[in-house]
Amino acid sequence: MMRAFSLTARLALLFAALTAGVLVLAALLFGRMLDAHFEELDLHELHGKLALVRNAVQQGVPGTGAAEPIRVLENAFVGHDNVGVLVRDVDGRVLRIIHEEHFTPEQRAGAPLAAGRGDWSVEGRPHRGLEVRLALPPRAGGGAPTDAAGVDVLVALDLSHHTHFLASVRKATWAGVALAALVAALLGWFAAHRGLAPLRRVTETARGLSAQQLGQRLGERDAPLEVRDHVEAFNGMLARLEFAFQRLADYSADIAHELRTPISNLMTQTQVALSRPRSAEEYQDILASNLEEYERIARMVSDMLFLAKAEDNRLAHGGEAVDLAREADALIEFYQALADEHEIRIVREGRAVVSGDRLMLRRALSNLISNALRHTPDGGEIGIGIAADAAAVRLVVRNLGDPIPPEQLERIFDRFHRGSSRRDRHGEGAGLGLAITRSIVRAHGGEIAARSSGGATRFEISLPRREAAPDHRP
Amino acid sequence: MRGSAAMKILIVEDEVKTGDYLRQGLREAGFVVDLARDGVDGLHLALDGDYHLIVLDVTLPSLDGWGVLQTLRHSGRETPVLFLTARDQVEDRVRGLELGADDYLVKPFAFSEFLARVRTLLRRGRSQEPEVLRSSNLELDLLRRRVIRSGQRIDLTAKEFALLELLLRRQGEVLPRSLIASQVWDMNFDSDTNVIEVAVRRLRAKVDEPFEPKLIRTVRGMGYVLEALPPARG
Repeated sequence: MMRAFSLTARLALLFAALTAGVLVLAALLFGRMLDAHFEELDLHELHGKLALVRNAVQQGVPGTGAAEPIRVLENAFVGHDNVGVLVRDVDGRVLRIIHEEHFTPEQRAGAPLAAGRGDWSVEGRPHRGLEVRLALPPRAGGGAPTDAAGVDVLVALDLSHHTHFLASVRKATWAGVALAALVAALLGWFAAHRGLAPLRRVTETARGLSAQQLGQRLGERDAPLEVRDHVEAFNGMLARLEFAFQRLADYSADIAHELRTPISNLMTQTQVALSRPRSAEEYQDILASNLEEYERIARMVSDMLFLAKAEDNRLAHGGEAVDLAREADALIEFYQALADEHEIRIVREGRAVVSGDRLMLRRALSNLISNALRHTPDGGEIGIGIAADAAAVRLVVRNLGDPIPPEQLERIFDRFHRGSSRRDRHGEGAGLGLAITRSIVRAHGGEIAARSSGGATRFEISLPRREAAPDHRP
Repeated sequence: MRGSAAMKILIVEDEVKTGDYLRQGLREAGFVVDLARDGVDGLHLALDGDYHLIVLDVTLPSLDGWGVLQTLRHSGRETPVLFLTARDQVEDRVRGLELGADDYLVKPFAFSEFLARVRTLLRRGRSQEPEVLRSSNLELDLLRRRVIRSGQRIDLTAKEFALLELLLRRQGEVLPRSLIASQVWDMNFDSDTNVIEVAVRRLRAKVDEPFEPKLIRTVRGMGYVLEALPPARG
């Protein structure tokens, strides 16, 4: 569910929640402090009233008992409607209540306040009170001990006016919190929207791209730090795509070019042949020559199909054990006649077994050898070295020959690449041989590299070492 | 043509041009050829006629090559089948061979290659292996591994011997380079070099050049053929 929200909405909600959380905490703390403050204020006021009562009682005329102070009290509390005073004698009889609406029925009946202070409510109005015992002034001429003991005075304060105030403060606080959360959400949305603008620019650019505009790049400099990685990755992808597209375009052009040559040969030859009557031998000759062109085209097409399959990762190999030395020897035997013609020696040393497809590996190696044969001067030597270490099996085909310039080395495995051949032998392929070799090596999880130095050229294949599986050979 | 006078071959191929030229080529090579243009007709002919070989295209209307092959084998016919496929897929090959095909060719193929495969299949099972192969005054002794021409012993390398043996065994037939590469060197792919040409030239220099008549002939664009001549007396 969360997945469906936009990043902006999520950030806005998060801002709102955080703001609300912090403000609620602050409001709770503030409420507490306000409560404590008002409690202190109440006590202060109660003590003040009590002082008033004490004063009244003690100023009473001696010998008049409790009646006189009470009269004084009534005078003192006229107008103080939010304060109630209840006077009991020491036996708990209620002597007088001023503003009795501030007391509970039990209190009016004489119930004392536990612990001398307390809170209660009457008809929904909160009250707070203090209770003390006050001594009466001594009677003139001595008197009954009952009167001399004094009175209990309970002072009550009606708190409803400031509970009203507190309630309105609370209401205002919560409203403020809610408003702040809303504002935070809006600001969060705005900030996220602004902050994500670079991402939207990436999206816009990506949306606007087509194969023709792969040269476009996103500005890396004005991208914020967090997005810069994305922008760089995106630009890297664009660069790779552009390169691949360029190669594809080159490839198509190459195919067209390679096909045009034999086809135009065929057309010219046939047109010339048909321009006047000829002998049967001449026709045969022309047809045979045409056949050679057709074969060239057919071979090129099947090589391209092979490469297309390789590109598509459809060159699965069975994983049989392939003895590279044996394959190399068979190929040396195959190319022996050709090598003898040019007095080229082909030698092989070392041996190793890899896992793969025998026919494909043989083809890969065959292409390397025929390539070497093409570039080795007469009387030269071609060396095939096979070696294995813990990680990989290495196969090197090296020959003496003209150095290959570095920029050509880079492209040597590209399709239709043709180096300047020492001798243009009959039936030379369309320059797909090394590309095929590389695709076969890669299908086997290996790599191939070409080096040229000191008048020698080296092709080095490295293949992953065969895992120690039981040998399937008979 | 040697021994193929009475050989009957059925071609099942829907592609009009391919069917026509295969029929013409095989007829000119001396075979009796019938051509069916779809799977159902092909199956009828295959079940009714008495063919020595069936050439079967995989993609056919009404009933594909697999279906024809399967029905044929289920009915107990063991006629050799060479199937033609446009897709060089391992699964296709395996499937065809599992269903009982004897060989396959991937389109496009050279006619000489096709003809060589056809002859190989027809030859299968009728082998009375001769110990000595001969043409005119050339003699190749398989047991003693030696070659004699006009009474003269000729030294050959192992591969030259194998190449000459192949040419002699199939004398009179044009052998394409790809077939020679695969039969003599076990190389089942096209090399982008002229290595077969060179090998044949070297063999020719030893076996043919110093002697008459010339036996090994290049058929341009097709391959090589060793002329089938009656053995010379003496």
